[in-house]
Amino acid sequence: MTDASIDELIEGLTGDLQPLKPRRIARGSLWVAAGWLAGAAALLWVAGMRHDLAAGIMMPPLPMLAFWTIVALGVAAAWSALRMGLPGVGRDYSGWYWAGLAALALPLTALVIGFGDHRAAMEAARPENGLRCMIEGAMSGLGVGLALFAWLKRAAPTSPARAGWAIGIAAGAAGATIIALHCASNDMMHIALWHGLAVALSGIAGRVLLAPLLRW
Amino acid sequence: MSIDEPSLARLMAAAQRGDRAAYRALLTDCQRWLSRYFARRIAPHQIDDLVQETLVSMHRKLATWDSSRAFLPWLAAIARYRWIDALRRRRDAAELHDDDAFVDAEDEAVHARLSLDRMLMHLPSGQAQAITLVKIEGASIAEAAQICGQSESLVKVNIHRGLKKLALLIESE
Repeated sequence: MTDASIDELIEGLTGDLQPLKPRRIARGSLWVAAGWLAGAAALLWVAGMRHDLAAGIMMPPLPMLAFWTIVALGVAAAWSALRMGLPGVGRDYSGWYWAGLAALALPLTALVIGFGDHRAAMEAARPENGLRCMIEGAMSGLGVGLALFAWLKRAAPTSPARAGWAIGIAAGAAGATIIALHCASNDMMHIALWHGLAVALSGIAGRVLLAPLLRW
Repeated sequence: MSIDEPSLARLMAAAQRGDRAAYRALLTDCQRWLSRYFARRIAPHQIDDLVQETLVSMHRKLATWDSSRAFLPWLAAIARYRWIDALRRRRDAAELHDDDAFVDAEDEAVHARLSLDRMLMHLPSGQAQAITLVKIEGASIAEAAQICGQSESLVKVNIHRGLKKLALLIESE
């Protein structure tokens, strides 16, 4: 390659320049929020809200704690994914790791409870008692997943693998919070296993399916 | 003309508004900065290609620079991405030179993050030694095997695994 060809390239790129609007994380956040709300609206419209919430009764403390822990994971992962779109050496995108570690409290709690009551644990693990929650949860997070994917596709993620994980975890966590508004189970083993699986499988799907599409 | 952060940021902000003269000046400065940046990381005959690829990527991703943040870390992130991509594409022939290219003290902070020596310290000694001997010092696999006291197959495996891990380390910086 010669100096002349670099000069030609610079001239070509200069001639191609158009005024543009810098990408703003605030705008991406609005799309993510819209995706989250759309997923919730769709599931609640199709399947309805759990009866205690519909009657204005609070969730019991442990499921509510699980709900907010998963919300925190979803927000942290979505925020990290949005920030990954605007690259910069030295920027820290690790917020969602810590939220993910905190969310591990849920399966650990379920494990401890399960050790004390094997029969209940076996019952909770039966697919007919939770597979539907997992599938509906994963589907409900698609709005968030699509919003984040569209944002990152037009942005510049410098680690597509990590961005794929973040999108998947954010979408799965959003879906798990949405399904918690419908699923009437207050059993921590059910929540940790089936709602947690929606998060984990979405994360894996994001890594496997989306990461290659985010290369640029 | 020195390449300083405030000037580059001003030119970039003007370029985002569609100012072509500012953009031409920015691209010229970036080309010089990138040439020095890659001079420490790849074989000399690959530098110009990589500079051009990076300029095109930069052009495609102009909207992802946030004017409230510094410009050089943004450019360095794009350059690093293209470099990793080149490493992957040319894994078998990856040549990670550490030439004595002149680097401004101002640029040093960004460059230092990506110091190859520092990266190699994170690899197991067998992998670091195999990469250093074959990919940096230019030894053959057989020579490296003799120096390391490893079989030729193990040297190849160490290079493969080491480069893979190196790419992950660079991405996580």
